[in-house]
Amino acid sequence: MTPPDAGDAFDALRDALERRAPGAWELYRKSAESEELDSTPALRRRASRREVGWAARWSEAGSLRFVAATSPEELRLALDQAAAIPAAPEDPPEWPRQPAATRLSAAAAAAPPGPASHRAEPPELFGTLANALSAASRGEARLARLSVRRGRVDERIGNAAGLDVAQSQTFLDGLATASARRGARAHESRVPFRWDSSQEPEVDALALARRLADAATLPLADRPTPFASGQWLLDPGVAAALLAALAPALRGRRSPRRPAAGPAPAPIRIADDATRDAPYDGEGVPSRRIVLFDGGEWTGRLEDLRSAKRSGRPPTGHGVRSSFRTPPRASPRRLFFEATDPSPATTLLARVKRGLFASALTAPARVDLERDRYEIEFTGISVIGGRAQSEVGGAMATGRVSELLRRTVGAAEDLQFFALPFLVGSPTLLIERTSFE
Amino acid sequence: MLLHCTRVHWDEAGISRWLEPLASRAGELVEVFGESLRETSLSWRDGEVRELAVRREDGVGARWRSGSEERFVFAPGVGEDSVREAVRSLRAAAGRSALPIRPARGHGEEEAPAPEADRWVRRLLGTFSRHAPRHRFRFRLRTTERRVVSPGRASAVSQRRLISLEGVFTAASRLGDEERGFAFHSPDSETTADELRAALTAAAAPRDRPGPAPEGEHDVVLAEGCAAVLFHEILSHPLEAGGDGSPLDALAGARVAPAELDVSDDPRRLDLFGGYEADDEGTVPRAVRLAHAGVLAGRLTDRAHGGVSGSTGHGRRAGASEPPLPRGSNVVVAGGSATPDEMARRLHAGLWIEEFRGGSVDLSAGSFRLHFPRARRVRRGALSDELGPGWIAGSMIDTLRRIEPVVSRRVRVCRALGWCAREGQVVPVQGESPDVLIRRVAVKAGL
Repeated sequence: MTPPDAGDAFDALRDALERRAPGAWELYRKSAESEELDSTPALRRRASRREVGWAARWSEAGSLRFVAATSPEELRLALDQAAAIPAAPEDPPEWPRQPAATRLSAAAAAAPPGPASHRAEPPELFGTLANALSAASRGEARLARLSVRRGRVDERIGNAAGLDVAQSQTFLDGLATASARRGARAHESRVPFRWDSSQEPEVDALALARRLADAATLPLADRPTPFASGQWLLDPGVAAALLAALAPALRGRRSPRRPAAGPAPAPIRIADDATRDAPYDGEGVPSRRIVLFDGGEWTGRLEDLRSAKRSGRPPTGHGVRSSFRTPPRASPRRLFFEATDPSPATTLLARVKRGLFASALTAPARVDLERDRYEIEFTGISVIGGRAQSEVGGAMATGRVSELLRRTVGAAEDLQFFALPFLVGSPTLLIERTSFE
Repeated sequence: MLLHCTRVHWDEAGISRWLEPLASRAGELVEVFGESLRETSLSWRDGEVRELAVRREDGVGARWRSGSEERFVFAPGVGEDSVREAVRSLRAAAGRSALPIRPARGHGEEEAPAPEADRWVRRLLGTFSRHAPRHRFRFRLRTTERRVVSPGRASAVSQRRLISLEGVFTAASRLGDEERGFAFHSPDSETTADELRAALTAAAAPRDRPGPAPEGEHDVVLAEGCAAVLFHEILSHPLEAGGDGSPLDALAGARVAPAELDVSDDPRRLDLFGGYEADDEGTVPRAVRLAHAGVLAGRLTDRAHGGVSGSTGHGRRAGASEPPLPRGSNVVVAGGSATPDEMARRLHAGLWIEEFRGGSVDLSAGSFRLHFPRARRVRRGALSDELGPGWIAGSMIDTLRRIEPVVSRRVRVCRALGWCAREGQVVPVQGESPDVLIRRVAVKAGL
């Protein structure tokens, strides 16, 4: 529970920052509570966590500084400590103003505990998921571990321009680990999941079991890729991981390399839209939808307050705090491939004359934006004439990042989101002329 | 390392009494862990601090374990009120009598801001301007004080001050400038700045433009201490108790490598990044032989997995908000008698690798992969072409068997090895090793 004096402490720190850096400061407070159930066949661990974090950013002696602490008293000490370190000059960003017709209530300012639902224990899914996994893998995979976490986060953001906003979020997420064995071969895979209450009424254990079964058992096949090149059909989870690996290109100072020319624009957009998750980003800028790639061209960038100041563009509401411990950074919040002309996934499968279906990654996606190269290691199934042929234990798709989007020729209507660790979504994608190893 | 001030002020006898009802039955484990962390993080670019961040975090984690059940509670702050909150929640969760509520008290005088960060800024400015004037580095100076109280055991305090420098810099190659990665992790001591300067100087030495790493099976020498990274992945991780089904599980007491190979995990080495005086369950650690004369020997255990021989002092946490896990610390490989020249002659033809940037292990499959940012080709026993980035990969057991029974006498600390993640928990680790020759290692060029 948040201490009752949290609102008073916030006000006192705000006054202290205004005295220290008139007109050039930002104050952030986060409180979080979570209940976690971590199960293995041998151990059940229940963990309760209450976290409180404070952070401030301000301009002093011409430099922008950041501090974080677990109490207001520690934050005050950190302010003095940080002020003593010399740093390069930097103009403070344009702090956002209070949105019209919003005034923070005293109750919200004190961050009262929300509905009791977030403090309920997370659902017991181990048995259900273990059985579903066993069935989906024909007994080859077993659930080695399942962590499920439910909780709530309350944030309050204020700044020297008069902003004072608060927001809350509840979450239910987790990590499932499966191990599979076939003869002398064994493999372990981990699948993170996040329940999206706006899309699903409850955790879909069967869908999770199918993803786990594929990720754990397909690498057990000892067949390499039968093709050196061909069409590449990507499961939504693989396509989302690929998009997550491209994320640094969406927030860098330089625009990504222009997509290679092709006969027709790719039938996908890349957009980011966290409006249904939270009204503000971590800097108090209102959330909004932004289209980053459309019609075969890069059309937007993710901007936080600092990058917006440097680029001269307006902030887009993508100042993300991965934790109260780190300063906000321009980062995706709910990034996704969006099909401009979606079709059923089975239609995309029927279009594959000769290629590979990537069911799960077997190593983190590697993207080198400087060299314009990507390498994606995956496990999956070979496809000829629209029909699945045989399991492929391990394959690697390689190529130029700038060609990847242009060669995307189909996107399905099965958009799914994954926690990677920010939310990334994709439908099934079909990419032409891919090189495989 | 002994620091001059303490921040975790506890009435340990009182806390021990609060915990006693939770350790009244056979097999029950309970402890309270407090951590006070202070970190200064500086992002450097071309001789200037472009971003600075100061963290001051306190937290308390209380754990109770009985058989296959475990309860864990985390509360912010490190004062008595935080300890009471954590223990009260733990006693309620374990179905024991509640701890009475008492008003919070302060927890002692706060120390003055430490001047170390300022001193390091001045040192780094000189080092960077001379050896790597164009750079993007992140420097972190982290001080932690950890205290553990458990009924029936002596309370333990562990204090560490660690520095990390990671990033890229522009160095000269024979065909023009090139960007190179650099990582250095070390406990802060009087010699750290000199050691860092020497490491950066070596990393900035002119080199030829690299060609692509050759693919296929090659004989490889792991030099300059980087074999510690390999043994961290293929011995330390599989021998962490509570891990899940690695192929080494069935080989305890079996010879897996030549008799010349001795590998230990030694947290007592406080000169290495992963060292500590007491683990995060309050156990004084001991060195554990992972491979002794080529035979698989011990396991790394915590209190929950120690059995009759007890914990080896490897119960570690990423922070107060996480329960302990058995984790490796410092991999120490004993030196042999060969000179570096002998190692190169023995290799005759193959790859000479001096650093790794990241790696992973699949315990179930018994396989590993390590990424090297550069290598040298060895032809007729002499170092020749520069090679670009790539991977070595293979089976743990096959790789151990393919180690040659000749180990160099020159043992080097691998300062590039610094942080290890398992189950999302990141802890400091390090190691030292002589040059090690391995036959027929799978090599692949790549990012």
